Order: sequence, then structure tokens, then C-alpha cells
Amino acid sequence: MNEIRSATSTPQLTLSLEEHRRLRKRYRRRTTLTAYAFLSPNLVVFVAFLLIPVVWLFVSTFRTKGVLGPAEFVGLDNWRDTFTSPLVQTSIRNTVVYSAMAIPAVFVIAMVLALALNAIPRGGAPTRVALYVPTLQPAVVAAFIFTFVLHPDFGVFNFALRGLGRDPINFLGDTSLALPTIAGIEVWRGTGFWTMMFLASLTALPNELYHAAELDGAGAIRRFVRMTLPLLRPTFYFAVIFATIVNLQLFDSVFALTDGGPVNSTITVSLYIYRSLFAFGDIGFGAALSFLLVITVLLLTGLQTFLLRERK
Amino acid sequence: MKLRRVAPTNSGLRKPRAAIALAYAVLLVGVAVALVPFLYVLSTALKETTSLFSYPPDWIPSPVYWGNFESLLADHPFVRWTFNTLFVAGAVTALKLWFDSMAGYALAKMEFTGKRGVALLFLLSVAIPISALIIPLFFVIRYLGLLNTYWALILPPLANPLGIFMARSFIVSIPDDLEASARLDGASEFTIYRKIVLPLIRPGLVVLGMFTFMLQYTSLIWPLIAVQDSKRQVLAVGISGLQSAFLQDWGLLSAGMLLAAIPITVIFLVVQRAFVVNDLSGALKE
Repeated sequence: MNEIRSATSTPQLTLSLEEHRRLRKRYRRRTTLTAYAFLSPNLVVFVAFLLIPVVWLFVSTFRTKGVLGPAEFVGLDNWRDTFTSPLVQTSIRNTVVYSAMAIPAVFVIAMVLALALNAIPRGGAPTRVALYVPTLQPAVVAAFIFTFVLHPDFGVFNFALRGLGRDPINFLGDTSLALPTIAGIEVWRGTGFWTMMFLASLTALPNELYHAAELDGAGAIRRFVRMTLPLLRPTFYFAVIFATIVNLQLFDSVFALTDGGPVNSTITVSLYIYRSLFAFGDIGFGAALSFLLVITVLLLTGLQTFLLRERK
Repeated sequence: MKLRRVAPTNSGLRKPRAAIALAYAVLLVGVAVALVPFLYVLSTALKETTSLFSYPPDWIPSPVYWGNFESLLADHPFVRWTFNTLFVAGAVTALKLWFDSMAGYALAKMEFTGKRGVALLFLLSVAIPISALIIPLFFVIRYLGLLNTYWALILPPLANPLGIFMARSFIVSIPDDLEASARLDGASEFTIYRKIVLPLIRPGLVVLGMFTFMLQYTSLIWPLIAVQDSKRQVLAVGISGLQSAFLQDWGLLSAGMLLAAIPITVIFLVVQRAFVVNDLSGALKE
């Protein structure tokens, strides 16, 4: 046994065990230094613009409310306000309801478009670009486009309704319609992104499997449900987590379209955080609310990771 | 005859004609929904705002009215906003690609003390929403004396971990033997990174770069807070300001939106091919 070893790895055997260990330690120290040199630019920005802000945020949740005057310890007051304020509850409910409407809708539409793009023999490139144009727009721009399109006085939608002899609908001015309307606009903007994402995964699927399934007489729907969906699991895993993180932060379109109105029917957590700093100057409260958002997103991401984990 | 029917299956799945026709129909509806709203904006931008309320509406403005564009370029620092947006998004993208490919290389190919801790720090930060950090970031940037500067717009977005994981997943797929042989030839880690790793992951970096650029081009909440000075402002904030300052001037707003859409659309046209080949979801694969 020993002879075979010495034949295959001569250099190591010339070192004593002690020397070997020392050299390995030195090698390890050197690679560790190199690795941190490669990581250092990111580590610096992460400490400065993520770690310090998070710690600062946590400390602020226990301090005085005002911007002016010295900071003062107030214990759990801010946290109690966060949990008891009815407006916070409204903003959490709106954010969750919005996400529950927008995420499934955008996934289904994008999946259908990606399957269609994957099926056509030519014309794919210009179609992809056209579908992606809404995604390239800032949310503010998308918001204003639909302010026109849906405007009760001169929007196309309401021109059509008027043509049919109906009363115009004030989509963004109605407490029960405003949030679904915003979800619809975000779906319009997000569809291109998810279509490209799903298309990229679809084109990467192995063709041979599909041949085999077709030869075995599996129909198109059966192939989609039994093969495509399971094979796309890693993509969905990424998509669900990413979409949740992004959508729970809904701010831009609400800020541009309704500013939380009418009657707070579209106020979201992010908008409330923004307001608590810039409208009320209530930093402690805003910090507690921000921290609540961080914890929620962390827990949700952890839960989704657990639920969507690939079974080995 | 029979032989001929078998042959085409070699070149891909045989798709029935009806399915292809249905696919085209679906895409036609999709493209129409995506683009028709822009025609409405175009129509609004090319007529006087007062004529907007006429019923029935005249979709094709005649004569064409250029006043909205003139007022946008003359009365507002629109060119400046465009420059700021492109400059900030370009700087963030360049720095981010550099930082992330370096960090991705360390995480993908090196064994070092504290690797799990570093990976965990990055992983946890995926789930920290930027809008939860706007308040402390504002004070950090103010403490550094950077409010109202380009630095205020460029630095905080660099702490976004998503690109690190994408870059890592690109680099993991490079066979180890390739760098091992370079290492035997006496190449330093930095040389390997620059001469071997970077060229190989270039297609992936194009997608990551476009993605970073787009996120930056469209971001609103942080620029809104970090910069008050109109000269340092980016397009998204500038445009949303057009509305509050000149309520109801839809023509001006339309002109601004159309012009704002042009640069990013052109950039996307140039790099769009890379998007279909690369699967971003690899970022979070084990």
C-alpha cells in the first residue's frame, strides 16, 4: 500500500509531517489573504452602506421620535406604535394584497408569452424587443402612461366606455379599484422581464427528453405539466423569491399615481417609511417600520427557500 | 413518403400548424398591449394639451405641434437629467461588474477562512430591501458630506448582492483544470482572473451589466432622497417632478417620457441577443 502511494505522490513523502502541516498552514494563510483582497471592494461597500445602516436602524428603533433635539432612549415605544397603528396595518395589508394580485398574474402571462416565443419559427428577435420595452421604462413613466390611458376625462379606456354609452370609470380615484389598477400597471411593466427570464430557461431545456415524451404519446399539456414545470423548478425558485423581495417594496408607481390615496387605499409600507421621514420627521417610528419590513422579507425568503428547496 | 415524415423530427420538435398560429396570435396581443400605450403618449406629445379634451379625440395630431419638446428642452434641465442618469447608471454598472466578478471568483474558486461567513453576509443581504434602508442611508451619506453629489447616487447601490451570486455561478462553471494549469505556469491569481476568467464569463457579464444598468436607470426612491439639487437629478425623479410642478401639463410630460425611453431602448436593442442565451436564475442555484 505504502509503496503504491510513494510511486504516485513522491513530492509529499519527502516532507516530514511537521513540515507538511506548516506549509499547508502557510498556503492556507496566503489563499485567505488573496481571497479577501478579491472580496475587499464589495466588503467595504457592504459594511458602509448595508451593515452600518442596518445596525443604525436597529438602534434608532429604541430612540426618540423627533429629528430635532438630542436622541433619547424611549424603549419599545416605537415598536408599540408600529404594531398598534391602524395605518401601518392598512399599509401592510395593501402591500400583501397587491403582491398576491401582481405576482401570480405576471408569472402566468409571462409564461404563456415565453411558451409562444419558444414555439414560433421566426420573428422572435423583434417580438422580444417589443415585449421588453415596457420593462425598460422607469415605474414613474409607466405610471404616467396609464394615468393618460385610464384618465376619466380623456383616457382611451373611458372614450371607449363613453362610446358604448356607459359612465366613465375613475380607476385611480376609486378606493376599491385603485390598488388592482396599480397591480395591473406593474404587471404591464414586469411582463417583459419575466418573459425573457422564462424564455431563457425554456431554451435551455434538453430537446431529447421532449422527443422521447412525444414518441411515447404524451400530449402538449401533459408534457408541460409533467416535464416543463418540474424542469423549470430552479427558475421558479429564483423568480418567486426575487419577485417577493421587489414587490413588497412597492413605492414608485404608488408615489407617482396616487400618493397612497384615495383615503389611504393604496398606501404601502415603503411609502409610509418615506413619509415618516420626510413628512412627519418621525425617525424612530420609520426605523421600527423599516426593521419590520426587513424582518418580514427575511422570514418570507427563508420560508420560500425552505418550501421550494430541491429535494435530493 | 414515410421516410420523409420522420426526417424533420431530427431538427427539433414537430409543431403542429395550429399551435404555431396560436403562438403568433398570443404574441400579437402581447406586443399590442406592450406598445399601443406608447402611441397614445406619442399622440399626446405632438399636440397642445388643450386639445386633449376634445371629443371625439383626434388620434393623429394635425398640424403636428412641437411646443412640448421645445419647452421640455428649453425650460427644464432635461438634457442634464439624461446625462446624469446615463453617467450614474454607467458608473454603477462598471464598478459593480468589476467588484462582483472579483468577489465571484473568490467565492467560486478559492478556499479560505471565513468563506461561509462572507457568503452568509451576502446571502442575507439579498433579502434586505433598499426602501427599508433609505432613512439610515440618508444619514450615512449626510455624515460623509456627500448629499447632493454623484457619489450619493453611485455608492449605496453598489451594496447589492445579486450580481455577486450571478458572477459566482458563471465562474463555477469554468473547469478547474484551466486555472490550475495557469497556476502551474506561475500565473498570479489576479492574472488568472484578468486573463482567463474575465474573457470566459463575458457573455454572462453582458446580461448582468444590462440588468444592473436597467435597475439603476429606473430607480426612483433613493435618488429622490439623496439629491435635491435639480442639476444633479436623474430622469425618473425629474419626470415625476414635471407633474407636481406643472400639474396637468400632459403634453410636456408625454414629451419627457418619450425622450426618456429612447436611450435605454437603444442600449437594450444592442445587447438583447445575449439575454436569451443566459439564464439569470443560475444566480441562486446551489
